[in-house]
Amino acid sequence: MEAERELRGPARVVLAVGVSIALAAGVLALFSQDFGSALAQFFLEPFSNRYFLGNYLADAVPLMIAGLGVLIAFRSKNFNLGGEGQLYASALAAGVLALRLPAGIDPLTLWCWTALVGTLTGAAIGALSGLLKAFRGVSEMISSFLISAIVINISDFLITGPFQDPASNFQTTRQITRQFLLPRILAPSKLDISIGLALALILVFMVVAKRTRIGFELKICGENEEFARYCGIPVAAYQIAAMAVSGGLYGLAGALLVIGPQGRVIRGFSSGLGWSAISVALLAQGSEAGVVPAALFIAFLGTGSDHVMIGSGVPSEIISILQAVAMFFITARSLPRLRRRRP
Amino acid sequence: MSDITTVLVDILKYTIVAATPLLFASIGGLFSELSGMLNIALEGLMGIGAFFGMAAAGLSHNVFIGVLAAIASAVAASLLMGVVILRFKANLFIAGLAINLLAGGITTVLSQWWYHTKAVVAFSLPDPLNAFPAALAQIPFIGPVLLSHSVLTVSAWLWTLGAALIINNTRHGIRIRATGMHAQAVLALGYSPDRARMAALVWSGIGSGLGGFALGLSISAFVPNIVSGRGWIALVAIYLGRKKPLWIAASCLLFAFAESLSNYIQGFSSIPPLIVLALPYAVTLVSLIVAGNKK
Repeated sequence: MEAERELRGPARVVLAVGVSIALAAGVLALFSQDFGSALAQFFLEPFSNRYFLGNYLADAVPLMIAGLGVLIAFRSKNFNLGGEGQLYASALAAGVLALRLPAGIDPLTLWCWTALVGTLTGAAIGALSGLLKAFRGVSEMISSFLISAIVINISDFLITGPFQDPASNFQTTRQITRQFLLPRILAPSKLDISIGLALALILVFMVVAKRTRIGFELKICGENEEFARYCGIPVAAYQIAAMAVSGGLYGLAGALLVIGPQGRVIRGFSSGLGWSAISVALLAQGSEAGVVPAALFIAFLGTGSDHVMIGSGVPSEIISILQAVAMFFITARSLPRLRRRRP
Repeated sequence: MSDITTVLVDILKYTIVAATPLLFASIGGLFSELSGMLNIALEGLMGIGAFFGMAAAGLSHNVFIGVLAAIASAVAASLLMGVVILRFKANLFIAGLAINLLAGGITTVLSQWWYHTKAVVAFSLPDPLNAFPAALAQIPFIGPVLLSHSVLTVSAWLWTLGAALIINNTRHGIRIRATGMHAQAVLALGYSPDRARMAALVWSGIGSGLGGFALGLSISAFVPNIVSGRGWIALVAIYLGRKKPLWIAASCLLFAFAESLSNYIQGFSSIPPLIVLALPYAVTLVSLIVAGNKK
């Protein structure tokens, strides 16, 4: 066996962050006419004023919530690849509910109901993959992806069909009235109070993981399934629950987008969020608290990409490339030595 | 011919066409599955093959060069994946996911750079070579359904038969299977399980690259998201076919039939097209559930 350097968690994170930033700079050098200004647009513009900063933070909120869910699923060794569909369908369910509730309703009641319905929709879709795994031995990765593909198609149909806003040229539902949208902070940016909820949720999940039996047993299920079974822990129940929580948090993220920054459900509005949340969970390295910086970093890559697209015409899809490279480094467990030892 | 026969001929003919990309990819994916690696990157590898294959074919106006470019690009991506998994000890699924993201990003960015669009890039290519003499297509029913296909479509079936031979009858195939069953034993016999896995990933790359290119060729164009889930469907075909090449081929035909049917229904019924588009996924999901094995 040749000598290998083991990569520890922090080293992987530093590598992943460093390499993806370096690569971003490289791509900008390749694609932009004016490298200096593209660089500034990517790295500085998101922080340059209140408006951009608020929008950037607002982009991090769904990533925190959904990333937290992916993290919980990871902990029980479940890969939820259906986030795209879970978030989208839940956003639609929440949006339709918000539009149907009587106009005289108290905004707080409306927010609670839409958040609840969004969460339950996502949880139901996620739990389905958990159930299929537990009872039919179906890989949750494949089933969650396929179910997601199906619900995306159905949601697309519902948005462009029965729930289409007749007054709009876009493929979108009607707009939710201003008074029913979450109060903004850092106006005129789209950042709203949901960031508080995201942080609170992360705190709650931290406490559950560290201080409760449920959190402990979930961890055992992920670390050693056989041992967990031997201890009498209902492993299947935890797996289903983990997928449900993961889907539910995707759903909550979707619902909060609809009663927050979006204000309506536009066809395909959430595209890419599902995958980004997975990057967030990976960067967080199994720690709830790590979700916050991880979401801020992935949102930064996304915001930066958007800024250079508008400013320099570099396609914003470079975000996928940056995330992919970050994923490679975050999951690498060892670095082969560059020089082989002489025999 | 009566109307109903015409419709049936159309649906069945397109079933064979739609099965081509699935066959290439799922038989390619079978190699890595047998070596013990569930390859969720088939989707991304197909996208890479589709883009680089079509770009090269368009540039050279030569389909054969497109085939080579599709294979080369998808194999390069699967080698990258192999290095990350086997040398850097990365998690298989995360590396696969990264390849899928990378494929989506690179093809869209390059499409914007080379063709200044993120939408449809159409290529004018020479007509696909027909594998059978034109006279055979005149045979009623069987002619148009089975004997009017391109060389590439026929190659997908040769690829399947070839893979079956390699897997069952060669040392190479046996080593790949043995690696999946018991890597330690392979190591003890003095062979490298990692080398067998790398080879299996290369086979996946070849198959997915060809599959992606077949997709592009069938519409003479590249569109981002051209693969739209077919890599995953190909993956399910491996399960439904119980890892046996000929049963996998049968599964691919089933999924292709669902796709063909959904295409037909879109044109001729009042069911909204967006719902109908979900049909292939639904058939795939149901078959996955049916094929699932209770632990």
